[in-house]
Amino acid sequence: MPTPTLPGFTRRDFLATGAKLGAALFAAPYLARSAPAGGGGGSLNLALIGCGEQGRVLLNAAFKIPDIRFRAVCDIWPYNRRYGERLLKKFGHDPVPFEDYREMLAATPDLDAVIVATPDFMHAEHTNAALKAGKHVYCEKLMSNTAEGARSMVRTAREAGRLLQIGHQRRSNPRYIYAHDRILREARLLGRVTNGAAQWNRAVTEDLGYPSGQGLSEAVLHKYGFANMHEFRNWRWFKRYSGGVISDLGAHQIDVFNWMLGANPVSVIAGGGRDYYPNHEWYDNVIAIYEFPTPAGTVRSTYQVLTTTSAGGGYFEYFMGDEGSLKMSENPKYTKLYREARAPEWDEWLAKGLIVRPGSGEGAPLPVRPWEKPRPRVPGLSSPSSVVDVRETAELSAWDMPVTLDKPIHQPHLENFFDAIRGKTALHCPGEVALATAVTVLKVNEAVAARKMLAFAPEDFTA
Amino acid sequence: MSDPTSSPPAAPRFEYTAAFLILRLFLGLRTLLEGLEKFESNGRYSFANYYENMKRMAQGITGASFLPLWATRLFAESLGYLLLLLGAALLLGVKSRATLFLTGLLYVALSFGLMAVQENEGVAWLGVHVIMIAGALLLVRHDRFALCRDRRG
Repeated sequence: MPTPTLPGFTRRDFLATGAKLGAALFAAPYLARSAPAGGGGGSLNLALIGCGEQGRVLLNAAFKIPDIRFRAVCDIWPYNRRYGERLLKKFGHDPVPFEDYREMLAATPDLDAVIVATPDFMHAEHTNAALKAGKHVYCEKLMSNTAEGARSMVRTAREAGRLLQIGHQRRSNPRYIYAHDRILREARLLGRVTNGAAQWNRAVTEDLGYPSGQGLSEAVLHKYGFANMHEFRNWRWFKRYSGGVISDLGAHQIDVFNWMLGANPVSVIAGGGRDYYPNHEWYDNVIAIYEFPTPAGTVRSTYQVLTTTSAGGGYFEYFMGDEGSLKMSENPKYTKLYREARAPEWDEWLAKGLIVRPGSGEGAPLPVRPWEKPRPRVPGLSSPSSVVDVRETAELSAWDMPVTLDKPIHQPHLENFFDAIRGKTALHCPGEVALATAVTVLKVNEAVAARKMLAFAPEDFTA
Repeated sequence: MSDPTSSPPAAPRFEYTAAFLILRLFLGLRTLLEGLEKFESNGRYSFANYYENMKRMAQGITGASFLPLWATRLFAESLGYLLLLLGAALLLGVKSRATLFLTGLLYVALSFGLMAVQENEGVAWLGVHVIMIAGALLLVRHDRFALCRDRRG
């Protein structure tokens, strides 16, 4: 006997509707929590806690976003606080300055959201206080310098029913979203992804100082948890304030591992040390190997962060499959798609506009002078001398993605946060997601100290 | 005892004849194909491509030099046909002396355009062609296997 169905409502319709309903239910926590602050489209009242380097980066990205108003700035260092206040006034805002975030939250009750750009060890305290005060929070990465701190933030956001976005800004970069959604998921151009590799190689940097006569007193430093002015200015290198370079630089890229691979790792082994900077605590070079269990099989990914050399190609995240590879970077010049010679031709994807022939950089035709015409391609004549060993396989062909970001790199992530507050979209990096990244990142330091492979348990990634 | 001034001219030596023939064939092929490639774009040959390519060339040279567009355009639009004509004439051996001279002038004119845009590499390449043409002119009296030889040989 045939199953009765509603007129015009087929099995396919039922599945499609079910899928949409499922997606809506999944996104509901991030959408429902957002109060219609700002009238669902009106101006949002904001405050910034932490007017240091990263705070200024976020301010400069936010200035280009309409319908936001900075009502307050907070920093324990008057020098930074004045800078933030003046910068905001220059762009038409009129913020009230505060030294203590508690006073700020009490004195500015009409805030819709707070942006936290303080040192990592303060993230949980500042974020939890703002969430408990009923504010949505955008907190810089790494979410916290401890996994427990990060978990507390997720729990508080959940209990307060407020949005918590963590500043892994690559998740809102249209080029990264395109790579994730279209290249990896839709077209599956890489085939089976077997390996990942990412790095951030940065040249030697001098420790930060401060203008003469502008230092904080010992009493103020101790009140806010800092040992001295040197550690206050260079907190990223000291263990009580941060997770070190793997957290400072690596967190962005290790987050991309978790995101692009759609999995959390099961193990990590790592080596590293403080081998160069005698006046730092944290490791100045770290190299780690993760194992990610994906539905297609294990993906082994290496990550290295070096702070004494910019050699080796700068910073990028690489995903390698048996049919192609994807090299991503916030710097577009390092971004490239490669097709393995054994893979099916990508002409179909070229015709659909999913990928484009390189206009510049690797794989691009040789530059043509204004009075010349492009030379015809002669198959088989391209650099035969480049093969130096019979064990080498054929050269990879290089391709580009037709997506660029023409804004400051943090702007789309802030826009996503503000849109989520207005109920227009879901967060790209909610606390639950960033907690998994924080756990993935911080385990590296444990593995370096333990000098052995450490395993992750599934419950490590939840709050 | 014979008078050396009244002796008949020596018979053309094979080496000179071969040297000139090789130069003539090389220059003929080079000139012909250089004219032909002016009609190519994306692997297709057409008159439309020719005028598009020459327009680009003229605008490029004018944009990067003091040469007026009317002059570069006039030169560019006749260049391809001249190269084809002179190349074919050299290959077939039609009036080689005059053909070589005209080809040499054409290469000097091309060099002038590249000198004007400070394209030194291109000028050097054309300089090699000009030297070969000058050498061929010195040997032109040994021209053989030609469709239409010069009167004075």
